[in-house]
Amino acid sequence: MLLAYRCALAAPLVSAAAIEATEFPALADQKDVWAVPKIVVDGVPQYEGAVHERVFVQRLVAPVFE
Amino acid sequence: MTIFRPREEERVRELLADLERPVELLLALGPEETPLAGARDIDFSGEARRLVDEIAALAPQVTARIEQEPPGFERFPAISIRPDGEDVGVRYHGLPWGFELSSLVGGIREAGRVESSLEPESIEALLALDRPVTVDVFVTPT
Repeated sequence: MLLAYRCALAAPLVSAAAIEATEFPALADQKDVWAVPKIVVDGVPQYEGAVHERVFVQRLVAPVFE
Repeated sequence: MTIFRPREEERVRELLADLERPVELLLALGPEETPLAGARDIDFSGEARRLVDEIAALAPQVTARIEQEPPGFERFPAISIRPDGEDVGVRYHGLPWGFELSSLVGGIREAGRVESSLEPESIEALLALDRPVTVDVFVTPT
């Protein structure tokens, strides 16, 4: 979570939010949240789990939209 | 009854003692969604209010403000973490409890830094973006 916050604080075009999955179950269901942390970029589910900063930033600037 | 136990309170006080700039916590309250079964008895908004108030009481550079359904917020409760009172797009949706308390406190620490703690290559890549990017990280309290 902190990586996402760091990115938002470093770049004006990036915003980051933690979302408590149990409090927003409909949204979590819509985004296919089965495990946490689940990373969603521009509303599109991307991947689960913690990754290195370099990988996190790369996936943020070039997300996969299938 | 307080949110933090005495040892946690001391830890939060230590973690937030050396912020380099003021950080405002804007707690947005409004209609809540129906949470999962078992979580219905929790007053999420009330607990979130106590939480931001307690953090502000522990950290001289942190202030807390509460608004009802402020513009730009769709889910409640939500906490906007604002360095120098400015909305830079850093939020926590829901009540940060359990281990997720560290995400909120860590976010406040990061917002209190003047220089980013990211690697220079990361900052360069992020600043090269030519479009807005929104990152949502789904978490759970355990």
